[in-house]
Amino acid sequence: MQWNKQDLGQYFTAEEYIDTLLIPLMQVTFKDQKEMEKSAVQQETGMIFVREMEKQFKGRIFLMPAYHYLASEDLSAEVTRLNEWAAKAGERSFKHVFFFSFDPHWKKQERNLEGNLLWMPAIQSGDTQSKETQSIIKNQVAQLTDLIKTYW
Amino acid sequence: MSEKRQQVSRRQFLNYTLTGVGGFMAAGMLAPMVRFAIDPALQASSTGEFKAVEDVENITEEPTRVDWEIDQVDAWYESTVTKTAWVYKDENGDIVALSPICKHLGCMVTWAGNDDYPDQFYCPCHDGRYYKSGENVPNTPPPEGLDYYEYKIEDGTLLLGPTKPRGEA
Repeated sequence: MQWNKQDLGQYFTAEEYIDTLLIPLMQVTFKDQKEMEKSAVQQETGMIFVREMEKQFKGRIFLMPAYHYLASEDLSAEVTRLNEWAAKAGERSFKHVFFFSFDPHWKKQERNLEGNLLWMPAIQSGDTQSKETQSIIKNQVAQLTDLIKTYW
Repeated sequence: MSEKRQQVSRRQFLNYTLTGVGGFMAAGMLAPMVRFAIDPALQASSTGEFKAVEDVENITEEPTRVDWEIDQVDAWYESTVTKTAWVYKDENGDIVALSPICKHLGCMVTWAGNDDYPDQFYCPCHDGRYYKSGENVPNTPPPEGLDYYEYKIEDGTLLLGPTKPRGEA
């Protein structure tokens, strides 16, 4: 399910079945060209990852709009905010919350997050159309979906 | 020389110029009108499009996953969408092409996706199951069987088109 009117309509007919929330965490920075380009590439590939995961498990995973934050060494303020998201989601039917990110700074905060962190090193190729990148992404998505299955 | 030169009178010059310019203007107005008028006839229908996916001789009785890409145009984007089908030959040698979209809530089912049911389609989301024919296994979540793809065979190649729900088959 995605955050649009049509999917929400379907969600409310089958709320009890859709128990998993997927929140992409996207870093934004204004530092310099290199960092900004890196952030843009991560945003693009990250969204491909989460959309593919949602496609596989459309009937059980709800993909939230991406959570954007300013790049920072210390993400504890963001953790507080995300835990509020998770708490609100728990008031609905969501039992599992997954955060997806390429930003390694989340790794330090993992145990403070009220949910499961899916962190992976970013693919830096930048050309998401190339056949090699596509097959790498497909392969990694398959591994991620297997991982999610083990939590159900 | 200069006496023999054909003089173009003012009247002739103006006539030629005005006819020429007028002709261009008329053509400029008519061409788009004609183009718009016949445009619907030139539009390729995107829903009824068939795409070659696999050689028929490669298809066995074991359901196999095939992927192909179509160009999808909606109001704002034009995008390439990957489509997937499970394809096999039934006992009569006829091609069966099933949509992988679970009829329960739209997850992707896989053939033999669960070790306990090696001869069924399995949906990982809520344990929905389908027999090889695509019929849903009773007492599992899906309310009906998997959709069929319409197919054509041309020169030994399988072409798949739009999906069709079971009720209309």
